Amino acid sequence: MGAKVPRNFRLLEELEKGEKGLGAEACSYGLTEGDDLLMSNWNGTILGPPHSVHENRIYSLTMHCGAEYPDKPPTIKFQNQINLPCVNPKNGVVDPSKLPCLSDWKYSNTMETILIELRRYMAHPNHKKLPQPAEGSTY
Amino acid sequence: MASEDSTAETQDKQVSFKVKTSSDGNHTITMSEAATVLDLKTKLSGDDYEKVPADRQRLIYSGRVMKNEDVLSKYNIKSGNTIHMVKSAQSNVAQNPAGSPAPATGAAARSAPGVPTNMAAGTANNPLAGLTGARYAGHMALPGADMFGADGGMGAPPSEDAMAQMLEDPNVQQTMNEALNNPALIDMMIQQTPALRNNPHAREMFQSPEFRRMLTNPEALRQAAAMRRMMGGGGSGGAGAFPAPGVTDTTPGAVGTPNQPNNAAANPFASLMGGAGAGAGGAAGGANPFAALFGTPGQTGAAPGTAGSPPANADAPANPFASLMGGAGGMQGLPPITPEQMQQAMQALQGGGFGGGAGAGGAGGGFGDLFGPGGFGGAAGQASPPAPADTRPPEERFADQLRQLNDMGFFDFDRNVEALRRSGGSVQGAIEQLLS
Repeated sequence: MGAKVPRNFRLLEELEKGEKGLGAEACSYGLTEGDDLLMSNWNGTILGPPHSVHENRIYSLTMHCGAEYPDKPPTIKFQNQINLPCVNPKNGVVDPSKLPCLSDWKYSNTMETILIELRRYMAHPNHKKLPQPAEGSTY
Repeated sequence: MASEDSTAETQDKQVSFKVKTSSDGNHTITMSEAATVLDLKTKLSGDDYEKVPADRQRLIYSGRVMKNEDVLSKYNIKSGNTIHMVKSAQSNVAQNPAGSPAPATGAAARSAPGVPTNMAAGTANNPLAGLTGARYAGHMALPGADMFGADGGMGAPPSEDAMAQMLEDPNVQQTMNEALNNPALIDMMIQQTPALRNNPHAREMFQSPEFRRMLTNPEALRQAAAMRRMMGGGGSGGAGAFPAPGVTDTTPGAVGTPNQPNNAAANPFASLMGGAGAGAGGAAGGANPFAALFGTPGQTGAAPGTAGSPPANADAPANPFASLMGGAGGMQGLPPITPEQMQQAMQALQGGGFGGGAGAGGAGGGFGDLFGPGGFGGAAGQASPPAPADTRPPEERFADQLRQLNDMGFFDFDRNVEALRRSGGSVQGAIEQLLS
């Protein structure tokens, strides 16, 4: 691999992509606070995949990029209650060992990668019919 | 929360941003930062924009669901940034409190009752909701071989006038233009054509406005046809309208005329160009729409315009395509293309199932079969047999699309290929498939 992009540049790149809406349509992400110089705390939304119980729901998540991002994956936490095997039902934290893109984290993965993967995870045939908590309920 | 002062300060500050909708709509909107999200939604519900009632809109910016009563300045929208708009189903709008988007807003509790009333709707109550999404968009755009009926659209070819009339129909024009805008179609054409495949500029060529105009301008077709009749050249004769045989390995198009001389006039495209070029050099110069395309009209007209002349292997300036493509015609940066290459290209287009006929259809021919029975196949058209199925392995055929999908984070090869197959090679369609 060539030169590594330092954390801040990488996060700025992601921020721009998120704010300008250049990424996948079904996911959105951006800084929780615009003046967060360390760019650690992020919001994300996932539009529930169609043809599943999640259809037409919007899930909000928070993502925390530690100092070692992107060498280490961010921690992901759902704000809206969701019933998914990879999500801790008590606090909404995504279990990194259960989501392939987190357990096999690659330097090139981005927060968008995670959001897309989570969305795909929701749409997985085994998960898309899981009974879900009332819409809008939060952790 | 902004204090009184800062609110006043931002009162008149305008911000421009884009709103991208799930149905591919894209609006640029300028509003005061002091406006509320509800104001924005109301604006978006107007006839000029999305015509979606405000309470069915859900707006997302930068990972946050925007709440109706918040002012835009709260979201720190920078100029040029994009807000996503999602339409929700019509049902259970009021009773569902929305999720609190972010802990940092500190407004969750306060806003819970009244908030994004629109964002919570499930589709449970609306069985048709699933049909209205943009996710089907990708499937509509690609014409398929089965659109054209039993004869594959190769019925009796229409006359030049009929063709030109057809082209005058704005719908047809639009379809052509859309087809030409579709990268998948261009990929397909390029992929099927050995010469184009190896030409890095092939895509530019297809995208250049001049080339498009050539393919879609009825006047150009009429003139070319008239010109050709005037010339009485091989181009208008039956035999002359056969694609030149024996040039490519991929062409089934030359059936029945195995030893026909590889002459330029026999190539529909060449004859079109040649005829036009001749006209430019001759009497009709002023009225000829192609004139501008040719760097050296007189010269170029001479070579291929002479019916039945020997192979157009003349040097570059004498070759109409060379001058057309070479930059004289306004498409800068393209290297001269040899007549052989061009013939191959046209042949492959025809043999490859795009063009049924030949003749005046040289221009339209490439797309003839795509649009309606008979297409603009060609005046003296002798339909070539339908193309053999593309037997190349999917990783080769969809190489570009697969790379794009990979870039977007879809790594499952088998699923990607499957989705691309279904969508006919459209990346957009494939993504919809993959996400659904």
